[in-house]
Amino acid sequence: MRIAHYIDQFVNSYFQGLGRGSDIERGSVSLQNVSKRFRKAGSVKKSYTTMKSDILAKFTSGHTPGGHHVEPSVDGDARILHALKDVSIEIPPGASLGLVGRNGSGKSTLLKLIAGIYQPDEGRVQVNGRISALIELGAGFHPDFTGRENVYLGGIMYGLSRAEIDERFDDIIRYAELEDFIDDPVRTYSSGMYMRLGFSLAIHTDPDILLIDEVLAVGDAAFIHRCQETISDFKRRGKTLIFVTHDLPSVVRWCDEAIWLEKGVVRDRGEPKPVIDAYLQRIEEGEQAALDVRNQEYELEREQNDSESSADGAADEALSPGSLEQKRWGNRHVEITNVKMLSNSGEAKWLFHDEDSVVIEVHFELHKVVRDLAFGVGIIRSDGLEVHGINTLIDDIDVPLPEDDAFPARGCFRYSIDRLLLREGSYFLDVAAHREDGLPYDYHHRQYSFSVRSSVGATGVFLPEHKWSFATEYAACDVPSKKRLTQNVGE
Amino acid sequence: MLRNLCELWRFRALLAALVGRHLRARYRGSLLGFVWSFVNPLCLIAVYALVFKYYIRFDSVENYTLFLFTGLLPWIWFSTALLEACGSISSGGSLITKAMFPPHILPVVSVLTNLANFIFAIPLLLIFMLLSGVLPTSSLLLLPLVMFIELVFLLGISLALSALNVHYRDIQHILGNVITLWFFLCPILYPIENVPEAFRFTMIFNPVAVFTEMYQGLFLEGVVPSFVTLLVSSIVAILSFAIGCRVFNRYRESFAELI
Repeated sequence: MRIAHYIDQFVNSYFQGLGRGSDIERGSVSLQNVSKRFRKAGSVKKSYTTMKSDILAKFTSGHTPGGHHVEPSVDGDARILHALKDVSIEIPPGASLGLVGRNGSGKSTLLKLIAGIYQPDEGRVQVNGRISALIELGAGFHPDFTGRENVYLGGIMYGLSRAEIDERFDDIIRYAELEDFIDDPVRTYSSGMYMRLGFSLAIHTDPDILLIDEVLAVGDAAFIHRCQETISDFKRRGKTLIFVTHDLPSVVRWCDEAIWLEKGVVRDRGEPKPVIDAYLQRIEEGEQAALDVRNQEYELEREQNDSESSADGAADEALSPGSLEQKRWGNRHVEITNVKMLSNSGEAKWLFHDEDSVVIEVHFELHKVVRDLAFGVGIIRSDGLEVHGINTLIDDIDVPLPEDDAFPARGCFRYSIDRLLLREGSYFLDVAAHREDGLPYDYHHRQYSFSVRSSVGATGVFLPEHKWSFATEYAACDVPSKKRLTQNVGE
Repeated sequence: MLRNLCELWRFRALLAALVGRHLRARYRGSLLGFVWSFVNPLCLIAVYALVFKYYIRFDSVENYTLFLFTGLLPWIWFSTALLEACGSISSGGSLITKAMFPPHILPVVSVLTNLANFIFAIPLLLIFMLLSGVLPTSSLLLLPLVMFIELVFLLGISLALSALNVHYRDIQHILGNVITLWFFLCPILYPIENVPEAFRFTMIFNPVAVFTEMYQGLFLEGVVPSFVTLLVSSIVAILSFAIGCRVFNRYRESFAELI
């Protein structure tokens, strides 16, 4: 055993010399000008099979073999994916950092670089301290082994001794709530069980740095709650936490700092709240652009349909209203030619906040002489629920009509909503022109979609104007044995 | 190489746990269970004995079946371990790509698991020797040394091939064919004396042939290998290990991206 001890000492000192972060403080992570590139799928195949070309290249130009090495000079090459570009981040011990960004922005790559699973193509990654990484559900577990065996194997992998694992085993299992399943093979586990075991193991190995990639999302509410307590405790003990998530409120709750990655570069960093607001703003702009494109496509389609239907008359009149598909029907004596949603500044858009005022602007043409005309407007949630429906008859509004000799003519009306008050989600806008007895001239059903963002987390379809009030004092109950509870309330 | 040795030492508990698990998991769900690790080589030996002893009437060795047994056991270790190790990293899956797992553990586990199977079969060989009237001699005390030298040699090749196979998946297919050829180039089915003088170089420059001869000497003839043979094979083994580590370390950083 003596010899083993000496070897241990030697090995430890060797690894200290080799360590990826011996000259930074324990528990800290430092990335300096880190870049990481990947070959895109399609060219990856090349790296398996080009033994011949690798050998040839070696003889002809002295090029390094082994596909994995991507020359820096190929910057413009379309087959190269720049997962991270010149990223520098210093994370002091005890910090908690949240990484946010769209899918494919490089968040997971960054975590894998810190964990040492990937090596940077350029720059330097320094890490000092023991890392636990939850990169993917069940990664590192052997499916055929039992939970118990996996705890031991995993613990050893994280650098614990058998005795240390023995000591913590019961805690790990109790925390993961897997007492009844611990001797079953983990391939029979549900994803929640995988995650609980993985998380429980990771936090019971005394890591200095904990890396979490989105895996907590599969936990049930009770477990998530416990995770939160554990993570707060973890932070109190001055350990470093780095996590990737799309659950933005949790970043605000847990993190001292947020980093927003976009296409491999740090787009913004700092206090979580402003960073996340900026990120959300950016997402909205993207969505706005996408909705614009979608509605343009609808319009194009509509024009095509129009040219078709003008050939065979009002053939689509028979279409039944009320189905979930987007439809248009009516005899087109009055035709709705353009529908816009405007913000209060008069700008056309398809993305609103719940508090925004909205103006629906509808342009129409009167092709034939009509005696009476009514307009309707409806809002339908994406799941088909009609949230709002109104027309000029219900509101007792007379639609002004031109003189008979003025036909054909064009006109326009605006329907204004002071505060939209819709919950967050996607909606369709219905617009219709019809006769007072209901015969449709032109009915646009689910032809326009728009989205609503809300900063209020309330559920349901409707957020009434509301307020809460409490009596400032409590009255004592007449139960004799109870103590009075009123003391601190209301002060 | 030092780095690899240090890492192996550091993860020795993981290594031991994985080898134990693999040994138990290999025959899980089969009725005969662990007995298969004896039955498999015995069947192979029975087939070769049938063909070469009775059909081809190969008679230049007395106790031909025993001769086969002695040569085949270490060969089964070598060939199975190499084939398993070769694909071990490319089929490592999320262990390599998503977890902080030391990758070189995998080929080493393949080699050690098959070594354990070899060791378990040695008592069987000894019983067979006694039944055939061949008494083991004190030269068997050198058996662990020979096995250790072969282990080091085999580890080197396994590390190199497992790493290269991640980049060039051709290797595992090529290896299957090379192993077949290699088998016939070792004095397992025939004694080395049968090889014509002109082809003797295939025995001398073939480390596995040299190991096979050493095993046959230790078990069957009570012959201790010469000091020079031991020295040269040790040097070859260390060279193999050093080269294996170099190749492995050169490629290891890209495993997670390519699997």
